[in-house]
Parts: sequence; structure tokens; C-alpha cells
Amino acid sequence: MNPLLDQFLSESREFSQGIAAKLMQLEDAPSDQEVINELFRLVHTLKGNSGLFSFPDLTRVLHAGEDLLGLVRNGQIAYSRQLADRLLEAIDLVMAMCAEIEATEQIGGSWSQEAVRMADSLRALMPAVEAEEKTPFRATASAAPIQLLPLAGIPEAVRLEALSRCHEGETVHWVCYAPTPDCFFQGDDPLYSVRQTPRLLWGRATSDRTLPSLAELDTYHCLLEFHLLSTASREELAEHFRYVPDQVRMVQVDPCWLADPEAVLKQGEAANAEAAVRTAQTAESAQGVEARMAALDAILTAQFEILQLEDRPVWFRGRLEAVAAVLRNVTRAGGDRGTANELDAVLAECLETGQPTLLRLWLEASREKLIAGHAAQLSDSSMPVAEPMQRQEEAKACLDPRVANPSADDGIRFGRRSDDVPGPQRSLKVDQAKIDRLMNLIGELVVSKNALPYLAQRAESQFGVRELSREIKGEYSTINRIADEMQDAIMQVRMMAVSFVFQRFPRVVRDISRKLGKEVQLVLEGEQTEADKNIIESLADPLIHIVRNSLDHGLETPDVRRASGKPETGTLTIRASQQADRVVIEIVDDGKGIDPAVIKRKAYQKGLIDEAALERIDDREAVNLIFAAGLSTAEVISDLSGRGVGMDVVRSAVEKINGTVVVESRLGQGTTIRISLPLSMAVTQVMIIESDGQLFGVPMDNVVETVRVPRRSLHHIKQSMTAVLRGRTVPLKALNTLLGIPANPKLNSDDELAVLLVQAGPDVVGLLVDGFRETVGLIQKPFGGILSGLSAFSGSALMGDGSVLMILNIRELV
Amino acid sequence: MPIEFKRNRAIFHDVVAVEEAEGLLEWLQSKPAAKVDLARCRHLHTANLQVLMASRPAVSAWPENPALRGWLEPALKPMS
Repeated sequence: MNPLLDQFLSESREFSQGIAAKLMQLEDAPSDQEVINELFRLVHTLKGNSGLFSFPDLTRVLHAGEDLLGLVRNGQIAYSRQLADRLLEAIDLVMAMCAEIEATEQIGGSWSQEAVRMADSLRALMPAVEAEEKTPFRATASAAPIQLLPLAGIPEAVRLEALSRCHEGETVHWVCYAPTPDCFFQGDDPLYSVRQTPRLLWGRATSDRTLPSLAELDTYHCLLEFHLLSTASREELAEHFRYVPDQVRMVQVDPCWLADPEAVLKQGEAANAEAAVRTAQTAESAQGVEARMAALDAILTAQFEILQLEDRPVWFRGRLEAVAAVLRNVTRAGGDRGTANELDAVLAECLETGQPTLLRLWLEASREKLIAGHAAQLSDSSMPVAEPMQRQEEAKACLDPRVANPSADDGIRFGRRSDDVPGPQRSLKVDQAKIDRLMNLIGELVVSKNALPYLAQRAESQFGVRELSREIKGEYSTINRIADEMQDAIMQVRMMAVSFVFQRFPRVVRDISRKLGKEVQLVLEGEQTEADKNIIESLADPLIHIVRNSLDHGLETPDVRRASGKPETGTLTIRASQQADRVVIEIVDDGKGIDPAVIKRKAYQKGLIDEAALERIDDREAVNLIFAAGLSTAEVISDLSGRGVGMDVVRSAVEKINGTVVVESRLGQGTTIRISLPLSMAVTQVMIIESDGQLFGVPMDNVVETVRVPRRSLHHIKQSMTAVLRGRTVPLKALNTLLGIPANPKLNSDDELAVLLVQAGPDVVGLLVDGFRETVGLIQKPFGGILSGLSAFSGSALMGDGSVLMILNIRELV
Repeated sequence: MPIEFKRNRAIFHDVVAVEEAEGLLEWLQSKPAAKVDLARCRHLHTANLQVLMASRPAVSAWPENPALRGWLEPALKPMS
């Protein structure tokens, strides 16, 4: 993808989020001029940027948004919820289009309708006067008043050329370019512009009034006007005149005006012209055979009427030729080639005699034949007919939306301005892969640095050079310090503020609460709290789930709240804070809370807990059952939540990044969900344990405590062992057995067993190991390839002495 | 010089920019019977065209460039 486009897309995403955020802000302070200005600037820049590429649909929507915001900024219309809704929808559409551009580097034609509809709905919010002022030519779509086109001034040769182009299926546009008087000062050269017009057929320079005498002429005051005909599409023309859209009028020329402009104009044969226009329109919008046949009938009738005219103007010959051309095309479209020759012969005779009678008689005679030919052609639906038809339909659908809807915008305008160029950037955008590489490199550096103490030890013990050993240790401490700082610095690069995730919430909360008919005030706290990018990113989905749940199940409707003596507007607080090396995120609502009894009953009904547990667990544990898979407490399943998925998904997502999630709730007063996450996933604190002479790592997150238990205080219940620790019965499992190592746990000299108490989900389990070692921070690498199937281990890490430490996955193991 | 002013004839060369319009106007004012030679002209700025359209001098040679000629000829032909 071209880098410019790439950057455009990434900026668009940022801008869209910014726009949504500003709209939210505006909701709280609808008259904050600063926010409105900022909002306008964002949309304006985004629109300007989109003009760099040929995505007219995208630009169209943004342009409408910009116009609308321009009015809001000038205080001509007030901010309203409806306005915000529409703008948010528009931004969604823009994002969808950007996604498509990202995937395919272009926008499919299917968006066109959507874009026009969106632009219209935005423009519908503008006061009507404004719309008319801005686009005086809007009404002059396809059925433009004929007087508007001084087609009579077109040289005959050009007219015939244009006519034949029309018959070949091309569209001919009449463009009138009236530069502003001071255009020379803006560096415009209108003559140059018009000379560069794509697919120019003809053009002329005129002046709408007589030019002043030389003595009075102001050289730098432009009085000229340019008229031209082009076969380029409307989009092409709009693109060509994008800098002067307000000075250009465009009208699609109907072939019948070209065919016989004098007759149409001078004699006011309005009926005839209208018939032809109608015919053309019918043909355009025709769907199915019937409509087509009707169109054909209308065409033939119009020709017949023309031939019936009694007058003999100087252009009589041209008129006959035009009629003959139409008839020839009709014949050809009907798949009948023989008739064309017949027609030519008749035409020649008519021209000779100067009487249209013969042609008229021929038309009368052949009319049935022509219609029958078409009918046959349509019924066997052979391609030559179906194709142009279809093409026309498509063209109508996606080409000029204004024809379909005269209130659409007035063409594509690209208001790109040089002052949109952003100032020098203080931040760099770096591909995440580059940072990850740095991260891996520093990880390796840390590992190889850790080899130095071993080397020092060897120098002393094996080779007996104490001096060298001391020097190595000295060097080591220097390298150690630098490496630590470097690691810290790289971590900082990866750190992101939680606001990245939080900024989505105003929109989410607003949409959902609106849908549910609840009044909710969202409070965000600690948005500046930082954590590793991966952590922050993986937080987004669980948080959305939780917020949805809180809105759906937690907060009550205004009526219920009033009845229970709470303020009508519920409060949802999302708070982030850093606590030691963890980020804690709390989602607090002041809703109805969770009833532990209901949860317990549901959990029991669904078989998630047994009867014993039903009796045993306290309220606190009960509410945490909402994280169990398959539990939904909602009475009614809504499209938001309540399908029993959700909270368990939240838990697994949080646990995947070594986080924990707990819920606290007070019935009738609200619920707090607390997510605790590590600051960074890069360095894992691991406790090293020994079992059967091998070393294993256990993540510190899992470690509850280490104890030594005398062998005699172990209880054997059937196959399993337990011990009572701090008044609690804890199941004990030997690590050797779990890993399939054929050895018994070793006892120390005091006949004690080393027990590592670990948290495995909700349970605490004692692991029997041989001994405990130190706790180290290391960079855990997940297994790749065939080893990734080993669920007992979550990964491996390199130790300072070059050995590999396997990290146990406690949850899977126990 | 984009416009070469001879005794009674202005010869347009290559591309005639907007700055020339002022001089052209003055010259044409002083020489009512002047002729212009546009043969070598490839493009002239609209301001110059406007001056020519207002003064309608006799054109001794039309531009060799057919596209430019197509624009100039109808605009500068003596009114019939």
C-alpha cells in the first residue's frame, strides 16, 4: 500500500476517535466553543486529507459533516442529540469505508448510496435557506431548464459530434465556468483550467456583458466566462474543477437538445422536448420488460410527432437526420440490421424531396415490426440488449446520485488547503514490530549479562584468579545498571495510558444507555495510568463486556431508581490506578447490585456447584460465581448481554494476561468489579523450585506461600493427601506425580516436606516439592511449534547460566 | 520577451503570463490599428485573452496549436 494512503488510514482512525470523543464532550457542554472548533478542525482536516485520494464517497460524507459543523460553529444551528447521533453514524460509516480501503485499497460502488444517504441526512439538519444559498444550481440536474443552455451557439460540427457521442452511450456535460472577478489574484488561470478539462469536446470564452472599452478595462478584473462541452463523467469534471466548485455549473445534456436544439428552443415545442426527456428518464429508470417497451413506444411516438411538424426551417435536414439516427439506433437495438438499410433509403428520398412524409409513413408501417423485434429480443434476453440496459441501470445507481435525489450535495468539493499541513511532529510513529525486536534484544542482553557472575565465580573457584573475578564482578555491575535502565526505557516506550481503552466508553455507554432507556453518567478516573501496550489492548474487550453488563443488569431504569430513592441518573465509574507493580481497574456502578442468593440458586440449578457448596460458600464467593461459565442472571435475554457468555469470557481474557478479576456487590447499592493486571507482561516474577533435581519456575502470581509441613501432620484420605494449614484443609499434590516423574518428594533433615501453596483459580492447592530457590524476574518465551501443545508449561526462560527454566502452568497442572 | 512589440504588430511567443496583460493593454491602447501574431503562442493567460477580446485587434496569424486556436478564434474573430 502506498505510504501516504497508509498514513491517511492511520490518521483517519485517530481522527475518528477524536471526533467521537469531542462529540461526547459536547454533549456535556453543548456551547463550549473551543470543543466545537476542535471538532470542526478534525472533520475539516480529515475531509481535506481524504481529498488527496479519489474516494469521493468518503469525501462526500465528510464534506456534509464539515458543512454541518461549520454552521454549528457559527452558531447558526444549535447542537442537539440528534445532530450528535447523525454525526456519530457518519463517523461509523467513514470508519467502515476506511476499513474497506485498508483491505482492498478502494471503495466499492456499494458505498455510494450509503454515502449519499448519509450526506443527505446530515444536510437535512441544516436550515433550508443555507442549502439553497450554497447550491443555486441544484435544481438543474438532468431536467434542467432548457433556456439555461445556450446550445444554439454551438457550432454544427460540435453539435453532431456530441450527439453521436450521446448515441454511443456517453454522457455529455455542459459546463459553465464563471470565474470570480478577483480570480487572477488567487493565481487562477481560467483559460488554462478549461483547456485542461478532461475529454473536452468544445469550449468558448465569452463575457456575459460587453467588455468595457480599453480605457476603462481593468486588466486584473476577470469578466470572462467559459462554456464547454465534455464527455467526461460528472465525477471527473468535479475533480477537475475541485478548487472552484462554486464558480462552476454542470448540466448533463439530454441528447434531444442536441438533436434539435433550435426547434426545441425557438419554437417552444415543450411538449416534444418533455416527451423526449420523459422517454429518456423512463428508459433510465426502466425495470423489466414492460417499462422498456413503454419507453420504446414513447421514443417512437416522439419521432412520429417530430415528423408531423409542418414547418420547414433551415435545419429541417438536420432534424430529419436526427430522427433517422434515432430510428436507426432503435432498429439496431432491436437486433434487426436489415431494416437500417431500408431506413437509409427512405431518408435519402425524404431529403431529396424535402418532405418528411415518406419517413413518417415508413415509421407507421414499421412500428409494429420494431416493437416486435424488441419484444423478441427481450424475451430471449440475449446479452446485446440486456447488457446496455444493465449498464444503464448500474450507471444510474452509482453514477450521479444527484439525479436520483436532487437534494444531494452539489458535487464533490475538495477544500484542500495548504494550512492544513500539521506542524512538526514531536512524537514518532514506530511500527510495533520494531519495538518488539528491541524488547527481545534487551531480553537477550539481560540473560547474557547474567552469565557474568557465573564467569566470575568460575574464575575464582576453577582458576583461582581472585583479582580477575573481582574485576568481572565490577564490570558486571556497570553493565547490569545500564541494561536495567535500558530495559526500563524500552518498557516505557511500550507503555500506554489506559485512556486508549477508556476513550471508547463515553460512546459505548451513551449508545447502550440510550437503547436501554436508562440515564447514566459516566465518570472516568485515572485515565493517565499507564501499562504495557499488550495489556492495555487486551483489556479493551473484557472492559466493554463488563460495562455492558453493568448497564444492562446493574443500573436500573429511572423509574425503578426513583422508587428506591436513588437519583434518576445512575453513575458508572471506571477508575484506573497503579498499585505497586499492578494496574487496578475498577468498574463501579450504583445499581441494584447482585443478590448472592439468586446467584447461588442459579449456579446450583445449572450444576455449577453442588449442594455442599451451596451451603458452604459465603456471599462474597457467591457473587464471584458470575465469572463461572454458563451463568446468566438476566431474566430476559437482550441483545446486549444475558446469554451466559460474557463474564466467564472476561475472566479468561483477564487471566490470559496474568490478571485477576473479582466482584464485590452490596444488594441495592451497587457493584464493583476489580481487575488487577500486571504493569508489563515482559518481565515475569518467577519463583524457582526444585523437584527431583530439576528446576522449575512458578509464576509469583500463583504463589500463596511456602511452608514446611512435618510428615506426620499429613492426612491421607483415600488416594489424596491433605494437610490442615492455618485452620484450613488444603489438598496436597506431589509435583513429581503431576509431571509423571517417578520419584517421591524429598524430606529435609527435620522430616518435613516443602509445600508450595499455589492459587489455582478459586482453589488453594499445596504442591509438594523438594526445595525452594530464589525469586527472579525473567522474560518468558512462549513455546513454539510442537512444544506449544504442552499445556503443563506456560513457557520457558533462559537463566543467567545459560540453562533453560521451564515455567509451570499451575492452572493446567493442578 | 513573451510578447514582442514591433512597430504595428505584437508577436506572442510561447506562454504569455498574467504579468504581460498590463503592457499589452497599454500598447493596444496606443496602437488602435495594431495586429497580433499568435502563431508561436502556446498559451496565454486569461487576462491577456480578456484584453484581446476587449480590443479585438486584427489577428495576422492564428496559433499553430490547434487547441488554443479553437479557443481563440471564436472569441477574437471580428464580430459579424
